[in-house]
Amino acid sequence: MIMTREQFIATSGVRVQTLEFWIEQEWLIPDQTPTGPTFTEVEVARARLIQDLTSNLGVNEEGVDIILHLMDQIHGLRRALLEVHDSM
Amino acid sequence: MDQGAAEVWLTRLPAGGVPLASIPLHDRRSGSCRRLEDRKGFRPDKAYTEQFVRNPYEVLGVEPTATAAEIQKAYRKLAKKLHPDLNPGDKSAEEKFKEVSGAYDLLGDADKRKRFDGGEIDESGAERPQHQYYRDFASSGRGHSYSDSSGYADFMGEDDAFAELLRRSQEARANRRGQDVHYTLPVAFMDSITGAETRLTLPDGGVLDVNIPPGLVDGQILRLKGKGAPGAGKGGPGDALIEVEVIPDPRFSRKGDDLLIELPVSLSEAVLGGKIRVPTPTGAVTMSVPKGSNTGTTLRLKGKGAPHKGGGHGDEYVKLKIVLPRIPDPDLEAFVQGWDKGKSFDPREDVRS
Repeated sequence: MIMTREQFIATSGVRVQTLEFWIEQEWLIPDQTPTGPTFTEVEVARARLIQDLTSNLGVNEEGVDIILHLMDQIHGLRRALLEVHDSM
Repeated sequence: MDQGAAEVWLTRLPAGGVPLASIPLHDRRSGSCRRLEDRKGFRPDKAYTEQFVRNPYEVLGVEPTATAAEIQKAYRKLAKKLHPDLNPGDKSAEEKFKEVSGAYDLLGDADKRKRFDGGEIDESGAERPQHQYYRDFASSGRGHSYSDSSGYADFMGEDDAFAELLRRSQEARANRRGQDVHYTLPVAFMDSITGAETRLTLPDGGVLDVNIPPGLVDGQILRLKGKGAPGAGKGGPGDALIEVEVIPDPRFSRKGDDLLIELPVSLSEAVLGGKIRVPTPTGAVTMSVPKGSNTGTTLRLKGKGAPHKGGGHGDEYVKLKIVLPRIPDPDLEAFVQGWDKGKSFDPREDVRS
């Protein structure tokens, strides 16, 4: 499902200013189209993770930055490993 | 926290299949056992269908007398270990995290905790709705715009088999072509012969202009280059594959590139000849019916069929069918009565057994 910025805000419950900050930090990278950014379920799930980290787990901004960066590396590694596994 | 207890995730029926309603539950604060039936708000129909939920104090590993700060600390400690996105490879993490979060939803909120301690709401009152975690997308490949190869970039310079495998899979991923997308497009019979421009409305609300080439047949697939799903890197988008469904026209049938139409003519048109209008894919044309035509007489309209592959067109064949007036006519009857030659003609001489 492809969502506009407004639909994404309604679905995820992220506040407008918070969303802008997240995009600025590249925690979320929505697709840029001529009519504005578009979001998918991937961004919703990622937003939920950031919300879990900041509200329930007591992680601050710097912590989120580090966690997301490491997590994206883990997923890159997992994918590479999976593809190596599949190609063998 | 009590490690022994934490290993037991009580979401299954105990061995022997004891009905849930007869299992004594731990009392919230005293630790003594009560039967489920004796509890406030017990509904036997619900008790059988709901999962067996553990006491939230036990789940978080805190005493019933714990302070709010202690409860938060216990929750954070567990959640950091169990959050599904922080354990992308551990399938059981999600269930455990759900239980811990459910317990914290109850005990982390002073009001809910009070109501729970007072017996107003039960353990299951805090079940979290199911949702998809980021790892579900990251591992399926949809979140791959976020994934980062720096975790293994240092292997990439090496000249060995493992580095080669990694490099190949990374290149394939970085420049993967978008997927082909399949559609079905109904096309009117006439349009399938002459060709047409149509606009296909896509499920996501977008539109696709499709140029239907003349002479299309049912089931043919049109490929629109680059109109499929977007690709990654230099991969380019996939194609749109459009399967054409030709809606039959009751008047026409098609045989190769030729068209056949059965056309009714009156008795006088057949006997005396005349000019009639005949439908063709490019509009009606006038055709001469020769004097003395019969039912089954087939006339040809040159070049009115579907286009041949190498150029030129098929033909339209017009098969005549004599139709008498709908209301019997006394004059016609009288004429045929006195028409001796008509009586001596035997149209069935070839089919007589």
